[in-house]
Amino acid sequence: MTHRLVRAERLFNRFSDGIGVFSAVLLLLLVLNVFYDVVMRYLFNDVSIGMQELEWHLFSMVFLFGVAYTLKADGHVRVDVIYERLSVKRRAVIDILGTVLFIWPFCFLVAYYGIGFAYEAYDISEMSGDPGGLPYRWIIKGMISLSFICVLISSIGFILRAVNEYFGLQQAHQYETFKP
Amino acid sequence: MVGIIMFFVALLLLLLGFPVAFTFGGVALVFGVFAEGWDLFAFMPFRIFNIMQNVVLMAVPLFIFMGIVLQKTQLAEQLLESMARLFGTMRGGLAVSTILVGALLAASTGVVGASVVAMGVISLPVMLKYGYNRSLASGSICGAGTLGQIIPPSIILIILGDVLGLPVGDLFQAAVIPGVALVGLYVVYVLVYAYARPESAPAVPFEDDEAGRMRHYVSALKAIIPPLLLIVVVLGSIFAGIATPTESSALGGVGAVLLSVLYRKFSWSMLYESALETVKVTAMVFAILLGATAFSMTFTYTGGDLLVEEFLLQLPGEKWGFLIFSMLIILILGFFIDFVEISFIVVPILAPIAEALGISMLWFAILIAMNLQTSFLTPPFGFSLFYLKGVAPPQVSTLDIYRGVLPFILMQVSIVVSILVFPQLFGLD
Amino acid sequence: DKGPETAQQTVEKKVVHKIKLAETWPPNFPIFGDATKSLKAMVETMSEGRLEITIDAQNKHKAPLGIFDMVKAGQYDMGHSASYYWKGKDPNTLFFTSMPFGMTAPEQYAWFYYGGGMELMAKVYDKHGLLSFPGGNTSNQMGGWFQKEINSLDDLQGLKMRIPGFAGEVFAKVGAKPTNIPAGELYTALERRTIDALEWVGPSLDLRMGFHKIAPYYYTGWHEPATELQFLINKRKWDQLPADLQEILRVAMRAVAYDMYAHSYHLSAENWATIQNDYPNIKIKTFPQEVLDAMRKANDELLAERAANDPLAKEIIDSQAAYLAKARAWTNISDKAYLNSVGN
Ligand code: NA
Ligand code: NA
Repeated sequence: MTHRLVRAERLFNRFSDGIGVFSAVLLLLLVLNVFYDVVMRYLFNDVSIGMQELEWHLFSMVFLFGVAYTLKADGHVRVDVIYERLSVKRRAVIDILGTVLFIWPFCFLVAYYGIGFAYEAYDISEMSGDPGGLPYRWIIKGMISLSFICVLISSIGFILRAVNEYFGLQQAHQYETFKP
Repeated sequence: MVGIIMFFVALLLLLLGFPVAFTFGGVALVFGVFAEGWDLFAFMPFRIFNIMQNVVLMAVPLFIFMGIVLQKTQLAEQLLESMARLFGTMRGGLAVSTILVGALLAASTGVVGASVVAMGVISLPVMLKYGYNRSLASGSICGAGTLGQIIPPSIILIILGDVLGLPVGDLFQAAVIPGVALVGLYVVYVLVYAYARPESAPAVPFEDDEAGRMRHYVSALKAIIPPLLLIVVVLGSIFAGIATPTESSALGGVGAVLLSVLYRKFSWSMLYESALETVKVTAMVFAILLGATAFSMTFTYTGGDLLVEEFLLQLPGEKWGFLIFSMLIILILGFFIDFVEISFIVVPILAPIAEALGISMLWFAILIAMNLQTSFLTPPFGFSLFYLKGVAPPQVSTLDIYRGVLPFILMQVSIVVSILVFPQLFGLD
Repeated sequence: DKGPETAQQTVEKKVVHKIKLAETWPPNFPIFGDATKSLKAMVETMSEGRLEITIDAQNKHKAPLGIFDMVKAGQYDMGHSASYYWKGKDPNTLFFTSMPFGMTAPEQYAWFYYGGGMELMAKVYDKHGLLSFPGGNTSNQMGGWFQKEINSLDDLQGLKMRIPGFAGEVFAKVGAKPTNIPAGELYTALERRTIDALEWVGPSLDLRMGFHKIAPYYYTGWHEPATELQFLINKRKWDQLPADLQEILRVAMRAVAYDMYAHSYHLSAENWATIQNDYPNIKIKTFPQEVLDAMRKANDELLAERAANDPLAKEIIDSQAAYLAKARAWTNISDKAYLNSVGN
């Protein structure tokens, strides 16, 4: 029977995977969006500022939400000069302390101040200042807080994994990011 | 003072192996909150939003997507292997091909993150497969990827143009010869290295008889053309005015997918996996940028920029002394702070002195740009090193990468020195 | 005889008030950045060190277009920027920089200080808890760099031009295609003809971008006859300042604004001389009457739409129109008649 901490970790990981799928879809939309804009401008001499603005809306959401998924996938780069020589337990301790001391306060502060940032845009109905630009700036501004909250949620899975590895509840993961 | 202490603390903590991005962010938070209070972080959403609106950075996900599709469909491998086969029995062909492809990519983007990661994805697995020395492989990729900064279009040159009041076009033009010289030097280095240490950069094998050789060259050329054409199309779309440099990277992504269809290597799962992989690598790059912006926020708001300014006022006031010292200072600062900060804090202080000494501003700008390029490669905070590490397979360690870039740093420094001593060789007199 | 100062007054004099100012521009930006530096020097001297200003440029706060929000929230006490940047936040901020076919700099200063402009600007900014003051004028901006000549309205159809804001709306209405291009890619985009035209500022700042090397036609202006920058101040901070420091700041801002106008004029003249001497191939053009008439009509229609939707917008538009009519009559018989009669 799987330990409940391991099951909890899997639950959080499923959330992070979902965020990954969401970002991947946004990325494909971004590629299409830019391609469409180039084709329309060059072949049909048509330019839409709204579509041009949509590009950076999509682009920024890809990397903002990607951070949560990448944390789960352990894709955030580490300097492994010492890390690679450490035991599984020590690595787990570093990940636990790092999450509590670095990730949590950082994400919490950004998410917290991001709310006021987005609310201000909502309060005055901020929109694009350019002809044909997109309305509702608060939505994209709100993505800052939302994505950092996602990192917070994902980081619970990250810390649970470290805890589970520390207590030997599951096999240590290979810290690696890219399998060719 | 807070800023300086923070650097060394960050340096030590980075060694523990917790992700770089969060170490930057966390250290910035501790020092920032300690020195300035919680409200310092009210600036973070503004800084993040500024990165979100920086469309030039869109080249990062778009180029990475192109690279990953090419890699997943084996088209990249085919391109590099075939290019390397054109070298015949000469060793080091894969690394030279990597540098040449890197130079082409560099000519279509000015964002280092985009080219280093794309090159890492495309060529590191291939070089490892053929038994290349890990350091040589990493060094060539970081060196080639960082070329994006000196070969136009380039963000450094655009910023320097702005800071020094020089037309961007003049700078772009002036950077071409030094950039090409650097590529040439890289190639010569790799060939010499491979000649001296055969086991570190083996040739890609092929049948070595008269008939086989001919067949081999023909098939190699055939295999090169489509993927190379894709990269040329990306470049060409900029020159033909079809797309801006940033947009051209999306054409590259769509082109790579079309190629995969053409070669019957397309599948929806390939597309989905490429997108997911792109998200992961993109987020790795941007998390570092987000952590770094918190770091530079704490650095400047605790007076770090003033410290740098004061330090600079002690420069010697005579032409050669000034030039040598300013180059050294930029090189040293490049170990710690990023090129945008250097361009905005240091260069405006140096520029009027240089002007008063009758130094050609164009020459000075190219010297600085070359020098700043090095900052991407210098440990501990060279971003190219992080980016490559982020996409490298686990057997490539941080130390392999540090060792690998060392000769490339030396080559960049030697080019800076040559431009300093023989500007006429680079068309800069 | 003023008599001895009270203890209260002595303490009041020794208190040093600090103002943190954020500017939209990069550090050491010519003309615009000089304005804030001279504000700082002036204020600190006049107040004998009781009012200190620190200036944070774009490289420090990293939010060139976040000035409005940061000053509103009190993260900075003061900003140096331009009012029309905030038109997406509050449409009525548009009117306090420069309007197409609008007033020239002297006319606009007259409107601000004596024609009710300041009061209207206060009305717009008050609800955001902000004060806004004129922050320096670039003088007449040029119409932009074009790859092809504009001989008729047809030539504007589908013309891809980087021209942001309200002028972009006017341009769109006559059939052109306003296009967003990041500043860093403008040069390449114009050179490779990804876009057909762009507008920047004028000789004082265009020359350093190098556009004169890649586009043959330089059109005279119509859309920003008198671009006025802006000093923004957080109202709570302003209210905390003693009356004499408020007055020092107010006077310094006014002096700095007018000084920047003179400075821009001077550097534009110098750069224009450079253009004439060093780049005689640049063709200076003015849009044909047909095009200008169409743009003016589009401009009037867009303004009418705004006036119909918002009573405060109507009040400002009417005030500017009435003042322009009055001031221009005088300009015509004074400056214009003078320039016409002396003929150089
Ligand atoms: Na480049
Ligand atoms: Na560095």
